[in-house]
Amino acid sequence: MVTFLQELVNSLSIASVIILMGIGVTLIFGLTGIINFAHGEFLMLGAIGVWVLMGYGLGYIPALLIAVAIVGLIGFLLERGLFQFTLLRPNNGFMASLGLSIVIQHVVIRIWNSFSKSIPEPLPGVWQIGEITFIKMRVVVVAVTALVVAVTFFTISRSRYGLALRASLADRETAALMGIPIRRYITVIFAYGSAIAGLGGALTIALFPVTPFVGSEMIMLGFAVALIAGLGNVAGVVGAGLILGLVNGLSGAYGTPEWTNAYTFGLMIVILIFRPQGLFGGTMGPTIE
Amino acid sequence: MAQMAAIAEARPPASRQRKNRALPSSAALIATAILVVGVFAFPWFNPGYRALSFAVTTGVTAIVLYGMAIPFGQAGIMSLGYAGLMGFGAYTAAILSRDFGMNMWVAMPFSVLVAVLCAGLFGLPSLRISGHHFAITTYVMCELLRIALINGGKFTGAATGLDLPPMGMLLGVKLDKLGNAYELVAAFMFLSMLTAYCVANSRYGRTLRSIRENEQLARAIGVNANLHKVGAFMLSGLFAGVGGDLQAYNFRHISPDLYGGATSLYFALMVMLGGPRTIFGPLAGAIIVTFLPEVMRIDPVDSRIAYGLALIAVVMLLPGGVIAAAGRAYRWAARALHGAPANSGSADAGASLT
Amino acid sequence: MATLEIRALRKTFGGVVALAGVDLTVHSEEILGVIGPNGSGKTTLFNTVCGVYRPTSGTVHWNGVDIAGKPAYAIGRLGLARTFQQAMSFPALTLRENVQIAIEHGSRRADGAGPQWSSPEELLQFVGLEAFANEIANTMPFGNLRRLGVAVALGGRPSQLLLDEPAAGLNEGESVQLIHLLRRAHQLGVGICIIDHHVGLMAELCARLAVLHFGNKIADGPTEAVLNDPKVIEVYLGEEQ
Repeated sequence: MVTFLQELVNSLSIASVIILMGIGVTLIFGLTGIINFAHGEFLMLGAIGVWVLMGYGLGYIPALLIAVAIVGLIGFLLERGLFQFTLLRPNNGFMASLGLSIVIQHVVIRIWNSFSKSIPEPLPGVWQIGEITFIKMRVVVVAVTALVVAVTFFTISRSRYGLALRASLADRETAALMGIPIRRYITVIFAYGSAIAGLGGALTIALFPVTPFVGSEMIMLGFAVALIAGLGNVAGVVGAGLILGLVNGLSGAYGTPEWTNAYTFGLMIVILIFRPQGLFGGTMGPTIE
Repeated sequence: MAQMAAIAEARPPASRQRKNRALPSSAALIATAILVVGVFAFPWFNPGYRALSFAVTTGVTAIVLYGMAIPFGQAGIMSLGYAGLMGFGAYTAAILSRDFGMNMWVAMPFSVLVAVLCAGLFGLPSLRISGHHFAITTYVMCELLRIALINGGKFTGAATGLDLPPMGMLLGVKLDKLGNAYELVAAFMFLSMLTAYCVANSRYGRTLRSIRENEQLARAIGVNANLHKVGAFMLSGLFAGVGGDLQAYNFRHISPDLYGGATSLYFALMVMLGGPRTIFGPLAGAIIVTFLPEVMRIDPVDSRIAYGLALIAVVMLLPGGVIAAAGRAYRWAARALHGAPANSGSADAGASLT
Repeated sequence: MATLEIRALRKTFGGVVALAGVDLTVHSEEILGVIGPNGSGKTTLFNTVCGVYRPTSGTVHWNGVDIAGKPAYAIGRLGLARTFQQAMSFPALTLRENVQIAIEHGSRRADGAGPQWSSPEELLQFVGLEAFANEIANTMPFGNLRRLGVAVALGGRPSQLLLDEPAAGLNEGESVQLIHLLRRAHQLGVGICIIDHHVGLMAELCARLAVLHFGNKIADGPTEAVLNDPKVIEVYLGEEQ
């Protein structure tokens, strides 16, 4: 029982990173229609950024904040410089993002090399509650993710800004005619989504070593979670992410670790075929129109 | 609406006039002849073992790419599962050789059959899911295959993979000699090129293009779009199966990592870079990405950065791929030189599949 | 003669009733017009009959064959063709290729009547676009695209053609040309059923009119009578000045 609870907590931290990826994907993909296969590289850049900055002597928290800001900036520049031209032809954006992910990965490899990188534990130690041992850093990861999710969810669903955003997603022309600055919203969403992917990376490297390929490993899980939940549905991403994080973590501990990703992928395919709008329903389904 | 967006995607800019290209012009035929001779004569230039070996890889890849040109170039549906289909072909050949002693030629129909059936299966979701979502689905299916292969225990050789025996003889020619193996692969490659060309210029190719251009209209005039989409994928599976079989026997060892999503991405990159709707596009894409960097001893990291950037450039600026852009440049130059609309038929016919 | 029998056709989308049980018979010998305010279900009627939507209930018989619920391509192959409200074509293909595809997938009419296109050029000539055979469809001006749409629909050698607002977006002269084209097609043996808002065009072209309102057919008869029907005037045409 104790082991099970510990595994549960461990899974939660994995789930958290996947959720952060998934939120970025669901916001960008679901609300703006831009498909960015290189989204996983934002996670990687966040992780590498923290590693580089701590290598220059910064503490973990300043390194995290700066890295996330830089990733957000990179996202902003990519949207302005590349993706904004693909809004009307998302397939072009998708293909370009395939090339982009290869470029980003290999630029990082060129500058730093392809071996795995790690940082000294920012928060070593554990908390004991009864018989259960909680690794402090993992709890922090979950807490930070919960905070980000809450902020995102309430902004999108309650604020005027979020309402305008969802309206413009439903009918771009009308929203534009009403004076909603759609392009600006899309840019902000893209930068925000990229930044929280970077945050996910910054948190990941505090948990395990990462390689420049960690992005492509995570991107599919991020897509899977967003598609399973339903694009545009932030709360759904949390739900799907928790389920999948649990499956991942538990299968790693109890079952067949080699098949872990297979369960996620299999579920994603099944959902896409039989319930393309996602388990919880989203704003934009991937059906043929 | 989405349909219009889908139509607008990745389409070569329309030239105002296009002659009816049932037959290529003499200029195009000469260019093709030179290419054929050049490719077959390559070993006589003493390129060395390394270059020849990469040439074989390039050729095998090009075969798969010509298969991709049918559902992607003609019907407009992109799949990121082709490495998986090739893997089905390769592993079928390896397993049949290990368990039943079949050689490359006997195994080929089986490789093809397995690849074709799986291609149909991989293609079915395209009837329900569109564009990029379908592409992601195929990527994921490919990864699932890779995971299954790694976990397949003794049957699939797990992560280490499987070995294959030598290719043996064909009509008295020793296929184990690299030069001869290369010629064989080159022959298959040109056969694939020819097949893709014939498909594109046939009634079937027109039907596929109509689905790409305006699926709703195609259905209204009697085109069974669903059947043709799956059919196009199955046809591409044929090429992938042949390529997989050839690859397995040429390199004598296959492993799961050769057939994952990342490899599929590179296939997609190659075919988009070269141009899926031009006759030389897939070959050009394979050469640029697989052959050139290795032979020119460019650092693999640098070369990947280069063709990632090249793909972005092509997608954003040169729709239709490098060959189509080269064709346009040629026509522009011809017009500039002659000061009058050039005989647009000649340049087009050689360059375009459609 | 080909006959399209629509009985009690109902189509709902969730809670919205687009067609509330429509009865309509279309004979290929006559030119039938379908008019009505926007949202009255005209396009939905065509879409449901032609297999774009499945009927919620009701029957559709084409020459005695039950086609309700059949996929669009199967219906197209049976000789029932249609055009679309937006000018549809295969944009990146030449006009010749556009009609060639249509010819290659056409039906084989059992009665051997109707247009038999021996080549794409012949069909292009029929609609007056033969000069543009090598042009790419998306470079065509709108009026030509409309005619191309008719050509593509005719390519399959249909016995009946359903046209959805074929004159929308055309100017006076182009509309007149379209009327001539449709008359010539009719003379070749293709039934014509047309949705449009140009009442003048409909009055000139159609011998019979049906009027839809909120998914119901409220009038059906000779053109003159229908246009003078007080119900129709109230709902659609407006009071005489």
